[in-house]
Amino acid sequence: MKISTKGRVAATTAFLTIALVAGMIWWANDEVGDANERRRETTDLARGLTELRLVTFEYMLHRHERPREQERRVHERLERLIADSPLAGDAQIEALGTLRRRNQEAHRLFLELAATPSVEGTSAKQAEAIRRFEAQVSSRLLILQQESLADAFFLTDFSTERINAAQQRVVLVIIAGLSLNALIAGAATWFIRRDVLSPIARLQQATREVASGDLDYQLHNDSDDEIGETARNFDAMTHSLRTSFRQIERSNQELAALNQEIEAFSYSVSHDLRAPLRSMDGFSLALLEDYGDKLDAEAKDSLQRVRAASQRMGRLIDELLGLSRVTRTELKRGPVNLSEVAREIAESLGHQSPQRHVEWRIEEGMTVHADKSLMQIALQNLLENAWKFTGKTEQAVIRIGMRVVDGAKACFVADNGVGFDMTYADRLFGAFQRLHHENEFSGTGIGLATVQRIIRRHEGKVWVEALPGQGATFFFSLKEPVP
Amino acid sequence: MSEAKCILLVEDNADDAALTLRAFKRSHVMNTIALARDGIEALDFLFSRGAHEHRAGEPLPTMVILDLKLPKLDGLGVLKAIRDDARTRLLPVVILTSSKEEQDLISGYSLGANSYVRKPVDFNEFLEAVKVLGIYWLMMNQNPPERAGP
Repeated sequence: MKISTKGRVAATTAFLTIALVAGMIWWANDEVGDANERRRETTDLARGLTELRLVTFEYMLHRHERPREQERRVHERLERLIADSPLAGDAQIEALGTLRRRNQEAHRLFLELAATPSVEGTSAKQAEAIRRFEAQVSSRLLILQQESLADAFFLTDFSTERINAAQQRVVLVIIAGLSLNALIAGAATWFIRRDVLSPIARLQQATREVASGDLDYQLHNDSDDEIGETARNFDAMTHSLRTSFRQIERSNQELAALNQEIEAFSYSVSHDLRAPLRSMDGFSLALLEDYGDKLDAEAKDSLQRVRAASQRMGRLIDELLGLSRVTRTELKRGPVNLSEVAREIAESLGHQSPQRHVEWRIEEGMTVHADKSLMQIALQNLLENAWKFTGKTEQAVIRIGMRVVDGAKACFVADNGVGFDMTYADRLFGAFQRLHHENEFSGTGIGLATVQRIIRRHEGKVWVEALPGQGATFFFSLKEPVP
Repeated sequence: MSEAKCILLVEDNADDAALTLRAFKRSHVMNTIALARDGIEALDFLFSRGAHEHRAGEPLPTMVILDLKLPKLDGLGVLKAIRDDARTRLLPVVILTSSKEEQDLISGYSLGANSYVRKPVDFNEFLEAVKVLGIYWLMMNQNPPERAGP
């Protein structure tokens, strides 16, 4: 059974129980109300009887017409009360009947008393007889009235008892209802624990296990409720995770194998492709050295061209290998002092071409969180570029610094060299792309591609601003710069 | 040690061998140069066995110039065999190779290479390197004392 169905059943049961208890309380309350009404009626009866007794006394003392009239009205009221009384039960009906008879008898006696002639004007003997008769009737009347009162009190007591009984029933019904509800609540708690809380705890445990890497964890819950379905979905999920994970592992192995092949290939390229170039250069030089005197200027020029081409291809191979290594090596981030790296490169460039006078303006304390050896390669390429393209500038200035661009810190290398037309700027970072002729500025066109790869590996970006004849500024920003 | 001993050049590429010989000649290195074309031949020469049995009793070369990429047994294998044998443990070995791979450099030095020289494409640069090598290993450096033959 589904948990929602179980929930509905529990709710319905609880509702029905509450309705039942409410109904019973209402019924018992009705009983109490009814009994109260009866007691009020019997109390009225007793009050009427007491009034009747008082009226009778008054009449006996004064023999006025007013109490006579009052007696008649009270008697009729009592008759009506007795006749209309809805009291049921043998004892009550008997008591009522007795009451009625006694009441009628009392009324009759009262009328007899009223009809007794006055003693005035009668002889002493007659008066004596009248008084005796009056005394007899009066005492019987009073006894009857006394008995009627007793009957009325019996009925009142009976009503009180009924009220008590009804009130007890109300208490019992409330206790029974509360117990039943407690029982239902207990059962519901037990079901919730068995069907909801424990399976959810197992599900939680399973998510923890899977989160900590155990993809083989299975729940095997075969219940047909919602949690059972969730557990089965969970098992299906870990199954597909396992499948994906194995696929990824396979892909990773393939990638590793592929990477190894590339390594082997690069090694071969580095080793074997250079050997023929060495021969070309070496034997051309041998020719020039050993037979220089037998060669004319054109032949010597041709041999020089062979040598230059061989050397250029050697550089190309080296730089391509460098580019591929930049992509393959593992990124090891740490604090890198760019100012220091730039100073070292500037110094070594100065040593290589001591005839050149370039003003270096390197900002102090530029630190980034990056791979040091890769950042060295990137800066080397950028500074070599700036150095190269200021080669024909009279007062060459190369500036390296940091600046905030679009809310992020960016490093820049700016020169006042030949610059270039920004129309071709997007082609600049592709391998073998050059904006100048080889005979103007030498180069392989791999340097900026290498820079871009290094910056991309650091999840940063590189861009350039330039004007022909006014120099170029290369910017790069890295993700996660350390302040 | 008045008589110049030979240098063993282990190189499979004939062009590279010719260029190396030329570089030695131009650097005024007067030692005779023996050539081995693979790793096994190099070890046969050093340990006087196989085709080089007749060398038994002759002194060891003054230094070995070793290419890394060789047929049969590669350069690192040769280096390991040289360092594993008591007779040749102290023999100067210079690795001369095209490779610039960091891994080769590390393995070369960790196996006990005395020097590591990369063959540049530009012959003039190569000449410079060989000159430095010749000066250092043949003139300045005092070789370890000769051990008794096997």
